[in-house]
Amino acid sequence: MKPPESLAQTEKSTEGKLPVSSPESVRRYVVTLLRRNRGLFIALVGLNSVAAAASIVGPWVLGGLVEKIEGGSADYAYVNEAALIFLCALLVQTAFTRWARIRGAVLGESILADLREDFLTRVVALPPGVVERAGTGDLVTRTTTDVDRLSWAVRLAVPEIAIALVTATLVFAALVFTAPILAVSWLFAVPIIAVVTRWYFKRAPYAYRHEMSSYAAVNAGIAETVDAGRTVEAYRLGDARVRRTDSAIKRWIGWERYTLYLRTIFFPSIEISYVLPLAAVLGLGGWLYIDGQVSLAQVTAAVLYTQMLIEPVDIILMWYDELQVGQASMARLIGVHDVPDPVTDGSQEPQSADLHANDVRYGYREGRDVLHGVSMDIEPGDRVAIVGPSGAGKSTLGRLLAGLHAPRTGTIDMGGVALASLPTEKVRRHVALVTQEHHVFIGTLRDNLLLARPDASDTQLWEALGSVDAAEWTQALPQGLLTEVGTGRHKLTPAQAQQLALARLVLADPHTLVLDEATSLLDPRAARHLEQSLAAVLEGRTVIAIAHRLMTAHDAKRVVVVEDGKITESGSHDELVSAGGAYAALWRSWRDED
Amino acid sequence: MLLDNLPHTDPGDPVLTTPGRFLLWIGRRQKKLLALGVVWGVVWMVGQALIPGALGAGIQAISKDDEAKALQWAGVVLVLGVVQAGAGLVRHRYAVANWVTAGTRVQQLLIRRAAHLGADLPKQVATGEVVAASANDVERIGNALDILPRMVGAIIAFFVVAAILVAMDPTLGIIVLVGVPLLSLAVAPLVRPLERREREQRVHLGMTQELAADTVAGLRVLRGIGGEDLFLARFQAESKKVQAAAVRTAHIRALLDAMQVFLPGLFVVIVTWLGARLALQGELTVGQLVAFYGYTAFLVLPLRTVTEAAHKFTAARVASARVITVMTLERMFDEGDEAAAPAPTSSAGEITDPQTGLVVSPGKLTAIVTDDPDASEVLIDRLGRYRDSNVSLDGTPVEELPLLTVRERVLVQDKDPMILSGAAEDLFDIPRTGRVAVADALASASALDVVDALPDGLATDLPERGRSLSGGQRQRLALARSLVADPEILILDEPTSAVDAHTEARIGLALRDARAGRTTVVFTTSPLLLEHVDVVAFLKDGRIQATGQHRQLLRENPDYRWTVTRGEDA
Repeated sequence: MKPPESLAQTEKSTEGKLPVSSPESVRRYVVTLLRRNRGLFIALVGLNSVAAAASIVGPWVLGGLVEKIEGGSADYAYVNEAALIFLCALLVQTAFTRWARIRGAVLGESILADLREDFLTRVVALPPGVVERAGTGDLVTRTTTDVDRLSWAVRLAVPEIAIALVTATLVFAALVFTAPILAVSWLFAVPIIAVVTRWYFKRAPYAYRHEMSSYAAVNAGIAETVDAGRTVEAYRLGDARVRRTDSAIKRWIGWERYTLYLRTIFFPSIEISYVLPLAAVLGLGGWLYIDGQVSLAQVTAAVLYTQMLIEPVDIILMWYDELQVGQASMARLIGVHDVPDPVTDGSQEPQSADLHANDVRYGYREGRDVLHGVSMDIEPGDRVAIVGPSGAGKSTLGRLLAGLHAPRTGTIDMGGVALASLPTEKVRRHVALVTQEHHVFIGTLRDNLLLARPDASDTQLWEALGSVDAAEWTQALPQGLLTEVGTGRHKLTPAQAQQLALARLVLADPHTLVLDEATSLLDPRAARHLEQSLAAVLEGRTVIAIAHRLMTAHDAKRVVVVEDGKITESGSHDELVSAGGAYAALWRSWRDED
Repeated sequence: MLLDNLPHTDPGDPVLTTPGRFLLWIGRRQKKLLALGVVWGVVWMVGQALIPGALGAGIQAISKDDEAKALQWAGVVLVLGVVQAGAGLVRHRYAVANWVTAGTRVQQLLIRRAAHLGADLPKQVATGEVVAASANDVERIGNALDILPRMVGAIIAFFVVAAILVAMDPTLGIIVLVGVPLLSLAVAPLVRPLERREREQRVHLGMTQELAADTVAGLRVLRGIGGEDLFLARFQAESKKVQAAAVRTAHIRALLDAMQVFLPGLFVVIVTWLGARLALQGELTVGQLVAFYGYTAFLVLPLRTVTEAAHKFTAARVASARVITVMTLERMFDEGDEAAAPAPTSSAGEITDPQTGLVVSPGKLTAIVTDDPDASEVLIDRLGRYRDSNVSLDGTPVEELPLLTVRERVLVQDKDPMILSGAAEDLFDIPRTGRVAVADALASASALDVVDALPDGLATDLPERGRSLSGGQRQRLALARSLVADPEILILDEPTSAVDAHTEARIGLALRDARAGRTTVVFTTSPLLLEHVDVVAFLKDGRIQATGQHRQLLRENPDYRWTVTRGEDA
């Protein structure tokens, strides 16, 4: 059976997405984690060893009993004594099992906590350009599903395998110690296990990775349907969404079938390899005993040890399967660490608020520039409107001026320092890109404001709210600043969410603002005080407005017309209107002066 | 072959009264798979159960120096092993089939419900809840069906072993038969506190996941303005709580695990002790002693399987309850019966609204201008019947029309229309009249350049919410989609708010031609659109204050002029 899709087909869809780590980096990361928790790990191995050692006592006691009873040298006192030893060993095993499990959980949970915290720490530090391109959907899946799956692997698979490894080692040692010649029986099993395991694990990781991603696609489709409920209903897309999910399920099932095929080869081969040594010990043991080379106690103990050995070996192989799933999730989680950070230099500081773009060229794809040599100078306090048709490169120019992307050639300097060389944390102290997106975070209104200036006092928060005209409704909220907002909490109206976003800007206080689709941020029909709120924010700052509305352009000190990635006109509103170019034509039609 | 008939052609009509009944319903849908799973589960477990007996007989033969018999029993062990391996595999295949069959069914039920609820779903539950249901809960329900056959096999194997033991030695046999269930009861008092702590742990875990997902969703804001440290610290605090809760849970689970070592172990000790005494008296052979030891040790497995099953059934019930919550959500208002609906007297597309006094003439392009966003939102929802409404279509109150008919006749395009992920051409794979070609619609919406800019044109895959596009590009694609749908009545809410002035002017010119003869209502304040509409209605203080041509209103109505020019009186 072949995998349902060829490698090339399936890899295509991952292009442009966030990276997934290689098995090597996963291994390296695990080693780092274990090293970080070395003490706990050693303690865990020690505790499990004692528990496993105690479990070996049983067969040894029984072997002795069989030998002595059969030889007629046993009495009740001997039987009682043997049972007592067995009991003591059991008590030790019980106590150490409990202890080991607790330590194991402490270790496992600490590793898990590290993992999810490391993950989010990295995610919130991703370069903004990368977030912009990859979208947040993939990241959300990684934060939820993958963390969940990995938790399962760490809570169950890792301790099971660790315990099984220790037990298997000790039981095998006991077998060798009891009757080295009978331990040879495992030679029947080892080659089979080796060959089949190799075959299986060569295919399994790839197959499970795809099984998982195709399963994730099913869930993503359902989530999107819920999210877009109104659109689905308006365009009567219900049936189409159902069909889409059904075909996503079909794709997933294809992978399920393939992985099932892999196990169909793997499982029985392994199981048969267990029973071979057992039969061999019995047959060989019988022959050697009759030959007088081993005692009955040795044969009995060896049979029982061989049987005991099956369970831990089986646990290792079976949980290894789950470990693969965990590993795949882990590869996606630590994959975010593979996103390269742009090289930045935190030591520089812009000397002024001047912004200079010089012969800037930039494109999102190789060989397809969107901007073809743009130069412009922006002085502190300037009001610049960038106008032009859609697709002319206005938004791209805005992102570059806000430091989100570095120009391919040419330079963008702020106060004598290349904007792209500054770390994100520094750039945003000077310039902020204001888009139509206004996320209200889960948490108090206070948290939602503090993100812009973590050390702000409540007085400052109220001032900021007041300056955007939002103090009144905040006061009217049941718990004022401490009201819980965001998904599933108190719902803010779109206008309130917009004012919140503006209040954040007041607090963050960058000297330059790049407004992209600012008119979308402000509902065109919105109450007039929203516009006053924006005016309050813009007061005293340099403003570069990507204008979709001519009104914004009219207010600007300078209008820059961008067409086809180049600046074609530049000047004050009046100058451009009297120049009679593209801008003038548009203005006239808008103002109804034809 | 297994899994061939999936996805189900029809997932069926589930019983949603209680979580238990829901699970039962799912089980009934796959009776045959479950039954086969049970059969093979039994063969597998019993095969395993018989091995200690064969080993004991082998040891007995060895102790009697009977080489031929010893070899014979070694052969029996081998055969039992192979049978067990084969049966184990088939059992596993059925377990997977059971899991997947149940999981698929639940997924299909959820998507069908979501599709049915449409606009009402996001209003009633958070997306996260449905995602949790479709991801985690489906797995838990699958797990329950996966373990069911194994559990039955375990129970039967237990009785087979019990019978063998009683036959070998009635006293010892009965001790085992009574003792093992007692042992499984002995751990029962631990199960409840364990479940309670697991619940607590899940609450914290849910909170952590919610915070993480929320932080990631707002990542652009965080990277643009700041506050990463603040949110990270909050997440870390919550993550530490999960860690603490999980360790607390682990304390009970460790105790449970230790008991699962101790109680069966104690039993093995007792059986070995009693058996050895019996062997001393000559009532038991040494081979039987070894077999007794092996059987008692084996009984740990069915015991564990049953405990595990109990856990998984509990988890599945919780999961089912959550699925039921989503599945029992209802539409906010009655859908009406399409068959019983009055036949449309005419379908010209005239809209009358007694509440605002709005009258939209059929076949015309009407603009509604207002400076109150809340009022326009309410009016749009009433026109499209997304809320209670006394609007009439061609004289028939919409409340008397079946909902589906209203959706078919009236299309509302929202202010922020959602672009679903998939190929760009799939956007136009919607119920449509076929009168409007995609290329024409794209041209009318000035969206040809949007398609041109896509690397593979219409075949390009768009990400969720069309995030790779700008707001203006999304709006134009959405407008083209609405034009392709070609509904009798099209209601557009600020369709060009994110489009630049050049393009907006072009769209204004093209819109009337594109919708010639069809009723179109556009909510806007943009002069570039208002220029080109047939009639403008000015909504203020909840009533239509004036109706007329844009320029006429501009001249005659100061309030209107103020709204349209945004206070910048010329």
